[in-house]
Amino acid sequence: MRNGIVVENLGKWFSRFHAKKPVTFMEAAIAGLRRMKPVEQFWALRHVSFTVEPGEMLGVIGHNGAGKSTLLQLLGGVAFPTEGTIQVQGRLGALLDLGAGMHGDLTGRENVYVMAIAAGLTRRAVSRRLDQIIDFAELDGFIDNPVRTYSSGMMMRLAFSVAIHTEPNVLLIDEFLSVGDLSFQAKCLNRIADIKENGCAIVFVSHDAGQVERLCDRTLWLRRGEVVAYGEPEVVVGQYVSEMRSQTQQRTPSRPPQLTEAGSTLKVNENRFGSLEVEVSAVRLMPKPKIISGDGLVIEIDYKCNQRTITSAIFSVSLSQPDGQKCLDINTVDMGLTAVPLDDCGTLRLSIERIDLASGEYFVDVGIYEQEWSYAYDFHWHVYPLIIESSTVSKGLLIPPMRWEVASKDHVRNKTRNF
Amino acid sequence: MRIPLLRRSSRQRWRLDYLWDLLRSLVDRDMKLMYKRSVLGIAWTLINPLLQLAVFVFVFQLILRVDIPQYASYVFCGLLVWTWFQNALFQATGLIISSRPLIRQPGFPVAILPIVIVTTGLIHFLLALPVLVVFLLLDGVQLTPLVLILPLLNIIQFALTVSIAYFLAALNVTFRDTQHTLGVLLQLLFYLTPIFYDLSSIPDEYWYAYGLNPLVHLVTCYRQILIWGVQPDWLALAIISGCTAIALPLGYLVFKRQSLRFVEEI
Repeated sequence: MRNGIVVENLGKWFSRFHAKKPVTFMEAAIAGLRRMKPVEQFWALRHVSFTVEPGEMLGVIGHNGAGKSTLLQLLGGVAFPTEGTIQVQGRLGALLDLGAGMHGDLTGRENVYVMAIAAGLTRRAVSRRLDQIIDFAELDGFIDNPVRTYSSGMMMRLAFSVAIHTEPNVLLIDEFLSVGDLSFQAKCLNRIADIKENGCAIVFVSHDAGQVERLCDRTLWLRRGEVVAYGEPEVVVGQYVSEMRSQTQQRTPSRPPQLTEAGSTLKVNENRFGSLEVEVSAVRLMPKPKIISGDGLVIEIDYKCNQRTITSAIFSVSLSQPDGQKCLDINTVDMGLTAVPLDDCGTLRLSIERIDLASGEYFVDVGIYEQEWSYAYDFHWHVYPLIIESSTVSKGLLIPPMRWEVASKDHVRNKTRNF
Repeated sequence: MRIPLLRRSSRQRWRLDYLWDLLRSLVDRDMKLMYKRSVLGIAWTLINPLLQLAVFVFVFQLILRVDIPQYASYVFCGLLVWTWFQNALFQATGLIISSRPLIRQPGFPVAILPIVIVTTGLIHFLLALPVLVVFLLLDGVQLTPLVLILPLLNIIQFALTVSIAYFLAALNVTFRDTQHTLGVLLQLLFYLTPIFYDLSSIPDEYWYAYGLNPLVHLVTCYRQILIWGVQPDWLALAIISGCTAIALPLGYLVFKRQSLRFVEEI
């Protein structure tokens, strides 16, 4: 029997309830039953069709509210479609809210049993795989400690390890790849590639378009419950990213050129992009915009929030050469600051301990984005120059602290004798 | 026609040995969680009814002087039955909301959750049984072969509790204060169940309303076989079993529907 997923013309009719829908007997008695009716009904998903063959990985991208999680629920069988059909064959596994089912007072081992059995394994099967699970999670010495003593990374590793060892034929993944440290992420990715190779059909939901492009064989792009595009990842992701860019451009209001504190001119759609609902009002490079390679740098970003309804945003900073080559590209989300809360105006500071770049002229590009990366509020490109000087001559980009040593033969012999 | 193949793969999950494993591991988890952080551990199972018993004996033997023979056995028997019923219902009511990660697991048999809680209660009941036997012997009760009917009573009470738990847990999804309300109602029901007083003191004209409470009959049946050594009230047991046989599948359906709705609503 072939495993895999076949979805045809899937639709899910959804009701949104009054925000003040009574949740207690008391409130229901006071408000009457009229608030019990939904205030809004809509298609959370409509006309969605796709196939995931065994050994294939489908990436699903789209903004929040596009219907991604609804799709996962339907595939997982925890919600039922209003129209259309879903065929899922084989054992179904899921990497949804990882670690949510764990109990802090139980040991890692006890939690493994509960989670794995709840995921569909028998007790015997868990016992057989227990060593593999612990080994993969790299928790050898800790497995009999209560989970409440674990770091969040350890918990994630354990949860991931359990989910991956249930040997599913069909696997549903919901943005998990922020699990643990980088080396563990790589391990997870390898493991997923293995599982895929062994004929598992995978559906991967993410709003990180880059990840989807790298990992998936096909991509489905959803917007407000409808399929915008379905096909090769390069093509679909390309469309998705360019739409985000054009959305930003459409939202960019016209505004006369402005001067920055340092005297550069800011021109909309030339070196500044975005809706300007939140503005970068000033950027200060400290101690000064001219440093010596190996020095530290503090970047202070002043922002002004023009829209009361916006309460959080993503900040990004990149260091690039005049030709656009990026030397550093970071943002708040990837560094664990999932939402930067905004005041009317305020300052965000990024401290870089040392910058080991070759001497030359660079630019600090600064951006503020909508919380889901939908579009940019304000992005200043090649506005703030940074001069780096160095006494070391290097043709490359990097000048880390380094030195040459001539190791004499005596020295080597001495060393060996010491052993 | 709709999702026939999904059904097939989830039927795999209904293998009995798997369900048994699942039940065992979830009960095991609940027991461990309950006692992990307390020094007295499993002894709590006994301490609570014993303390209650002490209070009842003090109040109704020394202050108010209720004239019931073998009073300690009489009260303790009632307390054990009641405690199982009350704790299971109270815990099961908050179930759907507290078990979201499990419910979201594809193919997880949600309906097992209330069964887990009632089973945990049953285990506590069985653990306390030896203490009851000690009281019976101290009170000079002669155990008869009728004691062997005990498992049947346990099964009936089990099924009854599970069916009510299904409804209450489902209701708690729509009205989140069900659990609090239930706490109050259970306390009232406690006084309307013959735990520490005698059934013969109920005035005849109130008997019909009073007798609607199934616990009245269950508690009495337990006492009939354990203390008095007489046949249980078979008619009452048959009626309770009949009602449960109808309520159980209904409750199961409602519970299942509500737990799916709860997951969807987020």
